[in-house]
Amino acid sequence: MKEIKYTIQDPLGIHARPAGMLTKQAALFKSTITLDTGSKKADAKRIMAVMSLGVKQGAELTVTVEGEDEEEAASAMEAFLKDNL
Amino acid sequence: MGLFSGFGKKKGMILDAPLKGECVSIKEVSDPTFSEEILGKGVAIRPVDGKVCAPADGEITTMFPTGHAVGMTTEDGMEVLIHVGIDTVSLKGEGFHIVAKEGDHVKKGDLLMEADLERIKEAGFDTITPVIICNSDEYKDIEGINLAMVEVGDPILSISK
Repeated sequence: MKEIKYTIQDPLGIHARPAGMLTKQAALFKSTITLDTGSKKADAKRIMAVMSLGVKQGAELTVTVEGEDEEEAASAMEAFLKDNL
Repeated sequence: MGLFSGFGKKKGMILDAPLKGECVSIKEVSDPTFSEEILGKGVAIRPVDGKVCAPADGEITTMFPTGHAVGMTTEDGMEVLIHVGIDTVSLKGEGFHIVAKEGDHVKKGDLLMEADLERIKEAGFDTITPVIICNSDEYKDIEGINLAMVEVGDPILSISK
């Protein structure tokens, strides 16, 4: 299992568009990818679940990745967060 | 055979319009997040009235604090996103009045929020409102069935399993 921590920089947080992009990225991998805000968890491959986290700027997000392609998935998710959020 | 001939068989489902306006193809939305179906399949409504109502019975899953979008899970398990306007997240709530909150159980036709369409337009935003099924990949086919002027409650999407 791999774990990434990332603090959201985007002033608008994870609204609809970034949620869609994040989900699309996560769907490229076989691994189970979970987002955890500390109070709520979501499957990163489900758009509605990701949106319902209500992630705001400054929130610390923990991403856990588990599965056969977890190495690539974790680095791709980390790169995605840094580039987009 | 009427429109509701598949009713109760769980095979074909219908989603109704959450707001009044001209229902158009999702391809007409300028934002590729919607037109390329990244958030799922659906249609868009060019609203003539800002009242956004529940398109089905279900539970409010996501109410953005800015009021510009609302997500609900219908009793049939469809995850519906209603996104009022394009880039309207940056209005930070201005022009939106939230009525329902996350976790609320709503009935079809219940008012969820109200958008001040004139104010949104004056601020320079397109008010076109995508109505999307976020869990589209769980269905075989999702099709716009009423690309015309619609009232709240008119059928707009046909969904088959």
